[in-house]
Amino acid sequence: MATAKKGQVRVITGNAVGAYGAMVCRPEVIAAYPITPQSEIAEQLAQFKADGTIDAEYVEVEGENSAMNVVLGASAAGARVFTATSSYGLVFMYDALQEASGFRAPIIMVNANRETPGIHAVSSGQQDMISARDTGWVQIIVENDQEILDQIIMAYRLAEDNDILLPVMVNYDGFYLSYLAEAVEIPQIEDVDAFLSPVKKQPPRQRLIPGLPIGYGTHGIEMGYVEARYKHCQALERVKNKVDEIDKAFGEYFGRSYGGQIEEYRMDDADIAIVASGSAAGTAKTVVDDKRKEGVKVGLIKLRLFRPFPAEKLVKALKGKKAVGVIDRALCFGWKYGPICTELKALTADFGPMPVLSYIDGLANLDITIPHIGRVIDEVGAAARGKPYQDVTWIPME
Amino acid sequence: MVIKHKNIFTTESPWSNSDKVLLCLDTGSWRTERPVLDIAKCNYCGLCSLYCPPQCMKDMGDHYEVNLAYCKGCGICATECPRKAIMMVPEGEFSHGNS
Amino acid sequence: MVEATKKRNRVFDYFCQDDPFAGGVAWCAGCPLELTARFTAKVLGKNMVLVGTPGCAAPVLHGQNVGAWHKQAYMASVMTGVPSKATGLSRYFNRTGQDATVVCFTGDGCATDVGFQPLSGAAERQEKFIYLAYDNEGYMNTGNQRSSATPLGAATTTTPVGKVRRGKPNAAKNMPIIMLMHRPRYMATATLSHLEDFAKKLQKAQAMCKEGFVYLHVFSPCPVGWRVDSNMSIEVCRTAVRTNYFPLWEAEDGKPRLTVEVSSPKPVTEFTKLMRKFSHLKEDGIAELQKQVDERYALLKSLVDAANNYNLIKQGNTKEVD
Repeated sequence: MATAKKGQVRVITGNAVGAYGAMVCRPEVIAAYPITPQSEIAEQLAQFKADGTIDAEYVEVEGENSAMNVVLGASAAGARVFTATSSYGLVFMYDALQEASGFRAPIIMVNANRETPGIHAVSSGQQDMISARDTGWVQIIVENDQEILDQIIMAYRLAEDNDILLPVMVNYDGFYLSYLAEAVEIPQIEDVDAFLSPVKKQPPRQRLIPGLPIGYGTHGIEMGYVEARYKHCQALERVKNKVDEIDKAFGEYFGRSYGGQIEEYRMDDADIAIVASGSAAGTAKTVVDDKRKEGVKVGLIKLRLFRPFPAEKLVKALKGKKAVGVIDRALCFGWKYGPICTELKALTADFGPMPVLSYIDGLANLDITIPHIGRVIDEVGAAARGKPYQDVTWIPME
Repeated sequence: MVIKHKNIFTTESPWSNSDKVLLCLDTGSWRTERPVLDIAKCNYCGLCSLYCPPQCMKDMGDHYEVNLAYCKGCGICATECPRKAIMMVPEGEFSHGNS
Repeated sequence: MVEATKKRNRVFDYFCQDDPFAGGVAWCAGCPLELTARFTAKVLGKNMVLVGTPGCAAPVLHGQNVGAWHKQAYMASVMTGVPSKATGLSRYFNRTGQDATVVCFTGDGCATDVGFQPLSGAAERQEKFIYLAYDNEGYMNTGNQRSSATPLGAATTTTPVGKVRRGKPNAAKNMPIIMLMHRPRYMATATLSHLEDFAKKLQKAQAMCKEGFVYLHVFSPCPVGWRVDSNMSIEVCRTAVRTNYFPLWEAEDGKPRLTVEVSSPKPVTEFTKLMRKFSHLKEDGIAELQKQVDERYALLKSLVDAANNYNLIKQGNTKEVD
C-alpha cells in the first residue's frame, strides 16, 4: 500500500512546527494574533506569506477574538482555516469559541499552553486548555515537536470529516515545546494532500453562498436548539473512534503513530499506572523505564485526547490495576484534585475500586522533574500495597 | 434512550433555508388605523410607496393601494404624501368583512 | 385624479431586485430601520450577504430554526464578532471569485460600543466589505438603554430623569468623524428622508467595497424609544438634516464633502420638540445641545474645507492655505 516519501528534516522550534504544520495542510484563510509563547507562529506564517510559500489569505488581526471570528466567517463560506493562540488570547476569544463549535465549523487551532486568568503569569501550564474545556471543541494534547506537526495534519482529517465537523484544538506546552528546537521531519505537501484527500473527496459541506437564501447561525428555538445540541454531543462521541482510525491510517502512511485517544506505555503487565499529558509524558516514559529496571511494574497512560474524554479507553486500560496516580499541570477550581484526575475519578466505579492519587505539578514554568515523577510512582506503589496515602499533593508546595 | 424527536434540521449544524420556510407575521392585525386614498388627489408620485417601512404599497398603474395584510398603520404615507391624498381612518370604522 | 407626474420618482430606478423580506416582520410600526433594511436589500441586490447581530435587526435578519424572514444569505454573530466574520467571508469570496457584497448590519450599540474594536481593526486593514450602522442612539431592542451614541441630555432607561440626574450627562461619540479618521475607501452618512441621497451612497458603497473598507452611518430614529409618533419618523430624519443635527456627507479616502447643503439650518429645538426624550431639558440643556450641534458642524465644515484645499493644491492651484 502507498506510503509517503521521506520528508525534509529540519531542526526547528515547536512554534515553527506549528507554522509548518499549517503550511503543509494548505489552509486558505489564516488569522493569528501574537501572544507569548506563540508569537513565532504568527511571525513564521507571515514570513511564509511574504515569501509566497503559502498562498493563504493572511489577516493580521487586532485581537484574538477577531482571529477566531475571521476564521469562523471564512469556514462558513467553505474555506480551510488555521489560527493559533495561548492563555489570555484563548480566553479573549471565548465567545467565538462557543460559536465555532455550536456552528460546527471545522477550524484548526494550535494552543501553546500557558497559565491563564486569576493572577498574571507568562509561564507554562495547562490552565488555558482547562478553562476552555466546556466550549464544545475537540482538544488533543501532544508530547513533542514532531507530534505537533503530525497532529495538525490528523486534525484536519478529523475536523473536516462530514461525520464530525467540529473545531479541533491542538495543545502543546508553551515554553517547553514552543521554544524547544528538535529535529522534525516535515512531510511533502503532495503526501499531506493525499492523506487529506478523503475529506476533500466527500460531498462538500453546507456553506454560505451569495445569492442563495441559506443562513448560518439561525436562532435555535426550543426543539431546534435541543436538536442542534444533541447532534453536537453525538458528534463528539464519534470523535473517539475516529481519532484511533486516523492515527492508524497516519501510521500506515507516514510511519509514525501515537496511539490515538491515549498511548499506553508498558501498561500490559503493569500493576500500577500513572497518567500524564504533554511534554511531561515524555519525561514520564524515561522514569517508567528506570523504575522498571528496579522491578517496579509501572505503566504510563499518556492522555492525548482530552475532549471528548476517552472514558472507555481509560477504563479498559486501568481495569485490573491496583492504583493510579494522575499528574495535572492545572487546577480544577472547586475540587481538591487536578482537573484530569477529577474527570478520571468520575470513572472509578467502572475501573475501580482502587486508590486514585492526584498530583499537581508543573505550574508556572516549574519543571515536572524525574525525581518528582519517581516520587509519584513510589507513592502510587505504596498505595497499591495498602499503605495510607494523600489523595492530593501539590508537589511544589511540599 | 428511545428518540421520538423528528429532526427539524436536515444538516448537522444550524442552517436556515428560506426557500423551504419563509416566515411571515400577520402584521396587518397590529394596526389601529388604516390609510385611505382619495384618488382624485393622487398624482402617482410614488412617495407613499418609497417611504412605507414595510413596503406594502401596491403599484396599481395609476395610483398606489395599501396591502392590508401587512400594513401596520404607522401613518407615514399619510404624513409624507405631498398632495395630502391619504387619510388615516380608525379601524373601528370598518366592520368585519369590509375592506 | 390630478395629472400624474410624468416620470416615476427617480429613486425607483435604483432598485435592482424586489424586496426579499417577507411582507410581515417584527419591526415596530413606523420603524425607519425596517425601511433601511428593505431599501438596502433592494438597491444592493441578490448577492448581498448580511452579517447580523443582536439588536433591532437581529430578530428579522436571523432565522428561526429552518425558517428565515428574508431571502438573502446571512450569518448570525454576537456583537464582538461582526466585522471579523465579514472579513473572513469577504476574503474567501474574493479569493474564490464569487460575486458578493458582504454587509455588516448593526446598530450603534454594536458599532460604537461592544463591537468597536473589531470595526476599527477591519477599517484600518481596509477589508473589502460594507459596514452599515443604523443609529437609533441607544440599545433599543433591549428596551432603550444608553449607548455611546446617545446624545447629551437624552433620557433612556439607564440615563433616566430623576432628582439627582437628568438624562445622559455626556455627549455622544462623534462616530462618523471617528470612522473618517480611519480613512476608509468610502464612507457616508445617510438617512431615510433623503432616499435618493441614500440610494446613491449605497451604490457607491457597493462599487467601492471592492477596493477597500466602506462605512455607512444611517440615522434611524426609534419612534418607540424616543417617544415619537409613528407617522413622524421620516419627518424626524428630515429635521435632523435641516438642523445640522445629522449632516449628510460622504468621503472617499478620508476626504469629506457635503452631499446636502443646508443653507439656513433651523435651531435644534425644531428637532427636540418632535420627540419626548429631550422634554425634560430646560433652556441650559437645550443650549448645551445646540452648542454641540454647532461645534460638530464647524468641525465637519473645517474638514470639508481642508479636503477641498488639498484637492486644489494637488491640482496645482496655488490657493493659500492658512
